[in-house]
Amino acid sequence: MRGRAAASRRQAGRALILVASIALVGVILLQILRAAGEIQVGFANWRPVLYAYVVWAIALGAGQVLMHGERGRRALFVLPAVLFTVAVVIFPTLFGFYIASLDWNLSATSGPRFNNFHNFVELFNDPDYWNALTNMLFYVVAVLVEYAIAFGLALLLTAEIRARKFFRLAFLLPFMLSPVAVSWMIGKSIFEYRFGPASNFMRFLGWRTPAVFAHAWTARIGIEVMAGWVAIPFIMILLLAGLQALPKEVQEAAQVDGASAWQSFWRVTFPLMLPVSITALLIRIIFQLKLADIVINVTGGGPGGATDTVSSYIYRVYSDRSNVGYGTALAMFYLVMIIIFLTVMLRLANRWTRNLT
Amino acid sequence: MKVGDYNNIIAGQQTSRRRLLQGAAGLGAAAVGGGFGAFSSARAAGTPSADEMALRKAILKVPGVGKGSPTDADWQKVGELCLGPTKARVKPGEFKGVQLTFMGLNNQNLHDFLFRGFLKPWETYTGAKISWIDVAQADYSPRLQQAIATGTIDFDLLEMGAPFEGEVCGKGLTSEMPEEVKQQIDVTDLVNYLKPPVGTWEGKTYRVTIDGDCHTINYRTDVFSDPDLTKAWKSAGNSAPWGNPRTWQQVQKVTKFLAGKQVAGKDVYGYLDAPKPWGGFGFYFLASRATAYVKYPGEKAWLFDVDTMKPRVNSAGWVRAIQDVVDALPSEPPNQINADPNTTGFQQFLAGTGSLVSWWGDIGQNANTSDSSVVGDVIGFDILPGSDDVFNHTTGKWETLSSGPNFAPNMAYLGWGVYVMSRVNGDSAKHKAAWSAAAHLGGKDLSIWTVMYPSGFQVHRQSHFNIQEWLDAGYDKAYITNYLASQSNSYNHPNVAIEPRIPGIFQYYSLAEDELAKIFAGKVGAQKGADNIAAAWEKLTDQLGREKQIALYKASLGI
Amino acid sequence: MASVMSQGRTSASRHHLRRTGGQFLVYAALITWTCVCLFPLFWTVTTSLKSARDVTQGHLIPWIDFQPTWKGWRSLGLSPDTIFNLSDPREEFLGRFANSVIIAGGASCLALLLGSLAAYGLSRFRYKFGPMHNSDILFFFISQLILPPVVLALPFLVLYRELDLLDTRFGLVLVYTLTVLPIVVWIMRDQFNAIPIELDEAALVDGLSAWGVFLRIVLPIALPGMVAAFILSLVLTWNEYFFAALLTASSAKTLPVMVASQTGSQGIDWWSMAALSTAAIAPLVIMGILLERYIVKGLATGAGK
Repeated sequence: MRGRAAASRRQAGRALILVASIALVGVILLQILRAAGEIQVGFANWRPVLYAYVVWAIALGAGQVLMHGERGRRALFVLPAVLFTVAVVIFPTLFGFYIASLDWNLSATSGPRFNNFHNFVELFNDPDYWNALTNMLFYVVAVLVEYAIAFGLALLLTAEIRARKFFRLAFLLPFMLSPVAVSWMIGKSIFEYRFGPASNFMRFLGWRTPAVFAHAWTARIGIEVMAGWVAIPFIMILLLAGLQALPKEVQEAAQVDGASAWQSFWRVTFPLMLPVSITALLIRIIFQLKLADIVINVTGGGPGGATDTVSSYIYRVYSDRSNVGYGTALAMFYLVMIIIFLTVMLRLANRWTRNLT
Repeated sequence: MKVGDYNNIIAGQQTSRRRLLQGAAGLGAAAVGGGFGAFSSARAAGTPSADEMALRKAILKVPGVGKGSPTDADWQKVGELCLGPTKARVKPGEFKGVQLTFMGLNNQNLHDFLFRGFLKPWETYTGAKISWIDVAQADYSPRLQQAIATGTIDFDLLEMGAPFEGEVCGKGLTSEMPEEVKQQIDVTDLVNYLKPPVGTWEGKTYRVTIDGDCHTINYRTDVFSDPDLTKAWKSAGNSAPWGNPRTWQQVQKVTKFLAGKQVAGKDVYGYLDAPKPWGGFGFYFLASRATAYVKYPGEKAWLFDVDTMKPRVNSAGWVRAIQDVVDALPSEPPNQINADPNTTGFQQFLAGTGSLVSWWGDIGQNANTSDSSVVGDVIGFDILPGSDDVFNHTTGKWETLSSGPNFAPNMAYLGWGVYVMSRVNGDSAKHKAAWSAAAHLGGKDLSIWTVMYPSGFQVHRQSHFNIQEWLDAGYDKAYITNYLASQSNSYNHPNVAIEPRIPGIFQYYSLAEDELAKIFAGKVGAQKGADNIAAAWEKLTDQLGREKQIALYKASLGI
Repeated sequence: MASVMSQGRTSASRHHLRRTGGQFLVYAALITWTCVCLFPLFWTVTTSLKSARDVTQGHLIPWIDFQPTWKGWRSLGLSPDTIFNLSDPREEFLGRFANSVIIAGGASCLALLLGSLAAYGLSRFRYKFGPMHNSDILFFFISQLILPPVVLALPFLVLYRELDLLDTRFGLVLVYTLTVLPIVVWIMRDQFNAIPIELDEAALVDGLSAWGVFLRIVLPIALPGMVAAFILSLVLTWNEYFFAALLTASSAKTLPVMVASQTGSQGIDWWSMAALSTAAIAPLVIMGILLERYIVKGLATGAGK
């Protein structure tokens, strides 16, 4: 009896998904035919496809439950997020790869032309792109410094201190200022050569011409200081949370053993903090790899490309020069490189974590 | 107390406004009777009518020069005072129910906000409703380009610069200006260089001009009359008297001389270059240094060869201009490599650093009327410096002209205009409303106000050169005479360098900026860098379609 | 005996000394970093009260270095003397402010909902979608963050045109949810991982379903953690510039574009940019004050149990 009920439920589920899928495909086909000018019926825009997709997604979820029972219900946790993400990115991603294969300058009278993936050949001979990529090495390594500072701050905040709430909030505030405001109020005002308080402070310290953004290395560091100023609170909060989650007994045990604070940190705290650290670093590195606003506003990539980032370079190609085919190709190549880089890093980090703990 | 004062002021303003409106109504009546356009253009050459004079005088008192930046209450008042021509053509409430969308810049709450203020009384009178798309300067060009490419144009009126005409008007996206509007805004009053072909495309007129643009040189009169510097200059062995330089050769000399000198206890510098890229706009500033070297009298082309679009940017003349920047940078402020034109004009020059800068007319306009100016009226103006010799591209030789130094003012950007998009063409009410709004913004009387106060718009009509009006508004006579002369002498110079209005012109500039940044940072030499620019430009021309570019280039030069 | 005692005392006092020394260093570090964090904000707030001369001369302390004025706030129509007058910039500001609240709030809520569910699932169960296992699904989410947004301009314009989502708040909510969803998923997965699985198992034995366990047992423990993820999302979406500039026109426009518009071809109006930045950061600061205690408590929950 129960077996038959289960079988009929499974069939109902399968049927539901099938019907919904057919409906979705039908609506899409209808719109494609209409867009191609083959038929006149259909909808004025693609919004109904969106609705059909939502209906299909619900049917898919319900079908899972009908077909797989408890296992299906568990799938419902992840399905909405996955389906949502797929829905929003699938078209832009596919269209993006298509654009990347075109010779397309928005000002060109001839419009887009397929150019045999010549864009991907060209980027290997583009010194500006490789210059920007080299700069990214610096910016990514600098994230480790941000991480060290953030870790230190998080440790300070877990020490026994007064006014903890005040310090916690104060340390969080820089994260809230928008990048545009950071570029102007800090980069172009506090660091302003003539009247900026930071410049005056550096003069006080003995640098007579504190033209931070006029020399390659100081400019790079200046940009990183601003990027870090905003991002450190983000890392700090994640680490702080991890620290407070550590079992107290472990730390106390280490101290009873007579280990110095330094030793107990490296032997106990740090390894336990690795999973949180990896999450924080991963997210932060991804954001750093897209660093653009501050660079565009403060240095424009200068002096002589010293602070240029891949994102700010792509911005110039894609937006300032409307060379969308090549710009997209640059970004897609970057995407693939980053995915490979991150996969390797995550593998290594996982192995390292397993060895340490 | 304070509030009371304020209310009194407002009340005073309102009574005077009422009086003025009577004047404006009278003007409207005259227009209905005799045909306003003819009336107005007849006046353009001669003296304006008494009513018109009174109106203009009243406008210019809002809020008065030296009283700080105008606010949106002021803009609305000006807009209301200038409604006469609209009232003569549109019945009250005639556009009720019409919805228009306007896309323009939000530039420090000017441009679009200015238009909002001017158009508010127009909306009240006509019944139309305008919604606004404000774009930041950096987003403007991509926003426009991408909207065109993806077919997402969502505006009926557009504020746009002449260099984009190739991409917009050339694609048939704008609506042709009706004859009536031409009369309403009196196109014959425009200064010569802004008359067709500027604003037109394939013989049709599209643009309501609201701005004129050229680079002039701005200098500090106090520095160039400083007695100590005069002495130092003489004892340095210079035979020429100390004063503002008239040629780029002198600019270089003065800049090197001023490095390390002080006036009133403050470091004083000479010329301010803008080496940092600025979304393509930075190239204009190199061009201003180059035109005197490369714009050969009688030859129209100076950026590309006419028949082949072969770039001239790596010719001896251009390379000399680039080398000048490289040579001058060590004598400029230590952070100069990171200065864009925004910095040189407003953070440096108007704030008191540097004594020479090429810029658009904004500098003179802002020095006395904007809150962001510190220097006040110790500024003098002149057309861009000339050069003792000029590079003749045909012979490939430097020549010294018998007439003296070669001057070639750079008509950079050719100014902003208001355009009506062709998507209103199908709807006659919308079409009329859109053109009425554009014409209101381009009105002759309104324009005298925008060119006197901070607006981002500079003199662009012959009627703007009536010095008495500027004096009435509160300008200093010597100052304004000097300012207007620099503008007028640039516009009307026989050897002006006119910018090519070809599609993608800003892409050429942006590519050049990237290479120039490397030259200025000392990574490549001037000649090698210029060759790189030329190569990148050739590639771009091929991508955009060489034949078409050549044809449009010729058309834009009027050949 | 005496010697032993004195020895004890010395070591205690030495210990005490070291502790006060350590305390001193801790507070020195705390205060130094507080200055680093707060000075730029102080600078921003005071700049909104400066006139041009005070800006270009780098005056620092109000009333001592310079006489504060309402300059920046007046240009927005938000100063005491202009607040009751008509002001286009203020209208614009308030309209954008409301849109920012709705869009950033909406996107953060949606991301939190979708992200927490996914994170819980990935923390507790093993999935297999085609060739993708749990770690691949996690990576799939984070990989959506990588592409520089600028190259998504044309694809999103075309997509949104076809879906009729241009210049709608809903459209921006969708794209913003996408941008913060991966962060929520990763943070919340760490959270759920820290909650002992025995808790779930006990509840399952009691007869609750997986959803019952999640809603009744795990969620209340992790709720403060969700607040933290919410704040991080809120800040990121509140300040988002690129898509806001691209996908909106007149009805869904948000604040960051207006901040950026305070500079252009006419130099920069320091005071109004500072005032706008201050006004734009204020709601976040208030949210921070209200919710800050949850961030730490929240992210810390679960573990230590």
